[in-house]
Amino acid sequence: MSEDLSPFLPLSPATLHILLALAGEDRHGYGIMQEVARQSEGQYKLGPGTLYDNLQKLLNQGLVEEAPRQSASDDPRRRYYRLSGMGRGVLSTEIARLEGVVREARLHLRVPNPRRTT
Amino acid sequence: MTRALYRWLLWLHPPLFRRQFAGEMLWIFDQSADSQGVCALFFDGLISLARQWLLRSGSWKVAAGIAGGLVQVTAGGLGMLLFGHAQAAHIAGVELRGAHIAVLSNPGMPIAMDSLVRLTVWTAGGLMLVVTVVTIWVRNITGRRMRGISRKGAACSNCAR
Repeated sequence: MSEDLSPFLPLSPATLHILLALAGEDRHGYGIMQEVARQSEGQYKLGPGTLYDNLQKLLNQGLVEEAPRQSASDDPRRRYYRLSGMGRGVLSTEIARLEGVVREARLHLRVPNPRRTT
Repeated sequence: MTRALYRWLLWLHPPLFRRQFAGEMLWIFDQSADSQGVCALFFDGLISLARQWLLRSGSWKVAAGIAGGLVQVTAGGLGMLLFGHAQAAHIAGVELRGAHIAVLSNPGMPIAMDSLVRLTVWTAGGLMLVVTVVTIWVRNITGRRMRGISRKGAACSNCAR
């Protein structure tokens, strides 16, 4: 049975990037910031204030949860986060929505589909 | 020096947020002060401070309470503007509802000053009433939406991991 995830959508750019950064592996806050910068090729830089405001919201909503420390030698201030099952569902739904938006945009702007041009 | 200032900025955040994330934010400051720039981190910290107090901590209730109190205080002036006269206010001035009543009931006050005080009281009262009503209305809408999300979150606790 599929859950109605529409109240979570659309995601803000910061939330989308954070969920995307956590989709691959568990990361700590600084790791999320670095991954967001890498994914956006440096165009979107997340500050710690924005990051933790969003993380707090995502933790409260149950889309992200705290993960166990990866090694005992880790700095104790460093906490890891991972995507919950519901978080993964919300991210997938948002990506499907964005795909629809891109499809519409291509149709209206008459931008050739990159797959057909190659 | 900059680290101590940033630490102080984090200390100014609401206690719940500070306990949860201040250590990590300071650690990120240590890691990225050179690459991101201290100014950018401070700017982000200031925005975060304003956001946490104004939007997340519920201190809007205090602001709404103060605004509501001020509206109540000016209610006497408004009532007098609509139904009473300065002489009547002088009689009713025994039970002072606001400082402005005493001002209005002063028989020696020039007419222009009297009108100015009335206009100020009327405008401030109206503005505060509007601000209070809009604030409560917006927070109700947001709160209802968030409660809906939490319920859905609880219902989805069995989602596949």
